[in-house]
Amino acid sequence: MKHRAMRKRAVIGAVLALSFVAGACGGDDDDASSDTAAPDATDAPAGTDAPVDTAAPSDTDAPADTAAPSDTTAPADTAAPAGDSPCLVSGDAATGEPIKVGSIQSKTGPDDFSSSGQGAKAFFECVNANGGINGRPVEFLLEDDQWTPETASQLGAKLVNDEAVVAMVGSSSFVECGVNEPLYESEGVVAVYGTGVPRECFHSKNISATNAGPRISALGIAQYMVSEYGAETMTCISQNIPNTGEWVCTGLQEWGETAGVTVRTLLHDPANPDFISIIQDAVSDNPDAVIVMEPAGLTVPLLAVAEEQDLGDATHWGGPTSQYLAGFPETIGEYWWGRYDVQAELTTIDNTSPDNQAWLATMDEYGEADDPRDTFSQAGWLAAKIFTDTLLAMDPEAITREAVTEAIQNVKAYPSDLNCGDWYFGPGDRHNSNHAGRIVTINDAGEYELVQDCQEHADPELEDVLALEESEGLGG
Amino acid sequence: MIAAITGTNLLTFLITGLTVGGIYALSALGLVVVYRATGVVNFAQGAVGAIAALTLANEFIGKGRPEALGYLAAIALAVALSLFYGLVISPRLSRRDPVVRAMGALGFGLFILGFCGWRWTARIQKLDLPTDEWSFKIGEVTVTLTRALVIVLALVVTVAITAFLNKTRVGLSMRSLANDRELSSMIGVDVRRAETVAWLIGGVIAGLSGILFGATKQLDAASLTFLVIPAIAAAVVGQLKSLWWTFGGAMLIGVIESELTNFRSIAPYKDITQLAVGAGVILLLQRSRVVSFIGADR
Repeated sequence: MKHRAMRKRAVIGAVLALSFVAGACGGDDDDASSDTAAPDATDAPAGTDAPVDTAAPSDTDAPADTAAPSDTTAPADTAAPAGDSPCLVSGDAATGEPIKVGSIQSKTGPDDFSSSGQGAKAFFECVNANGGINGRPVEFLLEDDQWTPETASQLGAKLVNDEAVVAMVGSSSFVECGVNEPLYESEGVVAVYGTGVPRECFHSKNISATNAGPRISALGIAQYMVSEYGAETMTCISQNIPNTGEWVCTGLQEWGETAGVTVRTLLHDPANPDFISIIQDAVSDNPDAVIVMEPAGLTVPLLAVAEEQDLGDATHWGGPTSQYLAGFPETIGEYWWGRYDVQAELTTIDNTSPDNQAWLATMDEYGEADDPRDTFSQAGWLAAKIFTDTLLAMDPEAITREAVTEAIQNVKAYPSDLNCGDWYFGPGDRHNSNHAGRIVTINDAGEYELVQDCQEHADPELEDVLALEESEGLGG
Repeated sequence: MIAAITGTNLLTFLITGLTVGGIYALSALGLVVVYRATGVVNFAQGAVGAIAALTLANEFIGKGRPEALGYLAAIALAVALSLFYGLVISPRLSRRDPVVRAMGALGFGLFILGFCGWRWTARIQKLDLPTDEWSFKIGEVTVTLTRALVIVLALVVTVAITAFLNKTRVGLSMRSLANDRELSSMIGVDVRRAETVAWLIGGVIAGLSGILFGATKQLDAASLTFLVIPAIAAAVVGQLKSLWWTFGGAMLIGVIESELTNFRSIAPYKDITQLAVGAGVILLLQRSRVVSFIGADR
């Protein structure tokens, strides 16, 4: 009997240890590399104009776009051949030596953050079907880090060392930037990021994202809460993930100190099911606004709890661009229609501007039907476009990692109507070229409606970035 | 920093803690029932529940198919998967170390998780149950019927399975197996039958809990799969044997976690409650003993 009891205790101990190890394991393995196959050839005549402005959706009375793309030193307006394909290149299906490009996504895990990679993948498939990069197709190696730093590190080594990619394009990860930045720097690889999330994505020498990042997005919606509702107190809800949740909410606090707004940070473990406590705690100080800095997947149950508690009118509610995607208003339900505002880091999904229409057409023609049409998809598409346009200006026989890195770093102003200003990589030790955005509200009909067009989002942490833009003539 | 701890706050987070404790309890009870009869720590339980919830949400609700059929199909799928693992895969590991058997179940759970990710790709999903429409208020907290059902169901399962184990012949066999598997089989206990019943009960609990958790938590395969982790801590409180201690442990963990919300400086780390309670119980149980992973004391 004694022996059995002892054995049982051993089992319990082992099980408890295993359970906590398993909890760190993340999701399933879904990191199949995805090489873009070149579809059938298409003929495409030349002749497209560079995008000039962003039109507001027709169902809004928002002001017209404020930031028309400026002149650029980027290859975009120097040598990019134009075509009538949605990716704006032309020619027969590319058959030359492939150009290897890597991309890492946080797909499986607490939330699926892979739409940036899907946007980039669709763009490269379009490029490959329409002449490639001066005849050379892009071999796009798309990987899933499963929200796990160890996996992200292994994938970084695989892509950079084993596959010898010339650059990373359209990545979107919660964990990858910090893990792989030293590798990128030591190996001379640049990453034209699609969706940067943690702080490291915006504080690294070799990474520059097309999106603004969650901190800027949070500041955008918070500043809207002040300008629109006169908010003086706020609660920022986010996940207790290092250099993500705290960095974002601290940004609100730092800005709040300069703007006379009191901001409280409420961090939580993303796996904890105690959503009622989070919401009850968020409103316990009667804040004027609650900023829900969560991925869309986690926002849904949080708002469901707030609806259960009938807190929709207790304060003003809003969130970042991760909540700007088709199906979100319908999923959170009618209760929130007319009660929820969202910041958009790139242009509105239904904008009729040229690049946005090209993105939509690319996704329709080369993406999957269920690929999200959201800001992150736009960001990945734009990253792939910037990369492609840059390489189109190069000698196709001279496309090496070193040459690509130099060319990308020399992009000082890349115009696109997807962004409020011009994207750049430039010479800085860190990059955050996108620091303006738009605000949409979920109106009474359950549709996103633009209520504030391009607006700079103030962030005390951006001082060095703005100073470099000024001195180097970066951006638009 | 400590939030203003008032009677209202204490009551509010007591209520929210009980609703979370109900989730932990239901998961943990399923684990204990299966472990008692089979010796397997069923790490796949969360994944089995997840596939049930996702099947209901994606294949039935709003798809023009009878919703009642959807509930039945979801639970039937959970039972089928549970029986498949218990009767086809698990016996092949029956002579292996307990840790290996647990890892086998975890592997099965990860396989189901992968299938869910492949089959249902929607980034945002929600499962609305008819019971979400009814609610009542306790203090400052509105409790939906779904959340109340989780607690009630956990209590009912505890009472019903306790009665089943004490009053039926199969229950007697399961208790016998829990005490000594080898001796039980030598004296003629029908091991196969007892294990089948245990996996069946585990499947029903997994299916029901998956649906209820999918409606009260995030409807996401990974999130529901790894809900088994806090359940383990509650099961440890019951030493993987006592249903009532397991129920109590789950409620205690839920309430402590929730009440920690009052202490804002440590609230972001309140998940450590699960580890603290689980590890604390183990330390209490094996004072002055050395335990190894193969189960032998030195």
